[in-house]
Amino acid sequence: MVRHEHTLQGACKEFEQDLVLYYYEECAGPERSRAEKHLQSCALCQQFLADLRRLLPLTIKQDEPPQVFWQSYSKEVRRKLATAEQKGRWWSDLAALLRPWPVPALATALVLILALTLTFGKRVWRPQDLPPEEEGVMEILPMAENLEFFKAMDMLDSLELLEAGAGLGNGSA
Amino acid sequence: MKTSQPAEFGDEELVTLAQKGQREAFEVLVERYQTKAYRIAFDFTRDREEAKDLSQEAFLRAFIHLKSFDLRAGFYTWFYRILVNLCLDYRRRRGRVSWEPLDEKSEKADGKDGVASVVRSPDQGAMTEEFSRRIEKALAELPLKQRTAFILKNHQDLSIHDIAKVMQSAEGTVKVHIHRAVVALRQKLAEFA
Repeated sequence: MVRHEHTLQGACKEFEQDLVLYYYEECAGPERSRAEKHLQSCALCQQFLADLRRLLPLTIKQDEPPQVFWQSYSKEVRRKLATAEQKGRWWSDLAALLRPWPVPALATALVLILALTLTFGKRVWRPQDLPPEEEGVMEILPMAENLEFFKAMDMLDSLELLEAGAGLGNGSA
Repeated sequence: MKTSQPAEFGDEELVTLAQKGQREAFEVLVERYQTKAYRIAFDFTRDREEAKDLSQEAFLRAFIHLKSFDLRAGFYTWFYRILVNLCLDYRRRRGRVSWEPLDEKSEKADGKDGVASVVRSPDQGAMTEEFSRRIEKALAELPLKQRTAFILKNHQDLSIHDIAKVMQSAEGTVKVHIHRAVVALRQKLAEFA
């Protein structure tokens, strides 16, 4: 391998890209004709093109694996494709379950159950909270705040209860 | 009546069959493109196992997403785009890859793999190794897009049109990448050749 002593000069700037494309046979039409005409008279561009022809093939370094590599390669790819296909089938089956009628039907049922629970659930819940002995207190408590009214109505039977209720009511007054 | 074998079908027919669920049709496509796919991956990785993994991963992704391929573009440009993107992701994850000259690796192994060994004098051998190292270093120093465009053109002989589709760039941009890569490589290598 020889080291070139001369200073490396580039091609003429306005032709350089076209010469690269010319080397790769990607230069066509007027650009190609222009490049070819210029090459006839320009030593710098001729040297540039010659360098490309000499150097660029050297940059290619292919790996050439043996036949056993390719046999194993094909086998591995087939196995991976088969696995991927199986996984794909599993997902398709799952998606099929969620398609057409089951989903809207289930959704409707859920909404109905929720609506029924909210509508009828209230009535069932509230009265159960108070123990029976305090039910009377709760009914009378608002009335205990207006003793004059009870005096006027002559409700002597509930006097003790009223006094007890008034005691509870005073806490809030 | 003569029935056609899948190996005789064009890419479009094979893709159509594979989209309908015929895995064997896709396997024919794999056989058709596996060598080229491996070589492209090897150009990026310079490692046999990594190149094998990346190229196989590209086939797998193409198979999984085959239904989204609309046949307007050629199968191979669509597939190469998947492959090149995987290779570029690999390069970004790995950062600067240590580029060992292929000759050294094949000499360390059984000598049968890789580039065939050539009988040469010690001086010639040293210069060849040095030049190999220079080439690898010069390629590694290219910006990623320039290196990609250069590899696809110089090593794989894809057309500018196809490279533009693979890289999802304009053809003019691809030409600029290749031009700059070539000029840089010539500058770095000319004195040694």
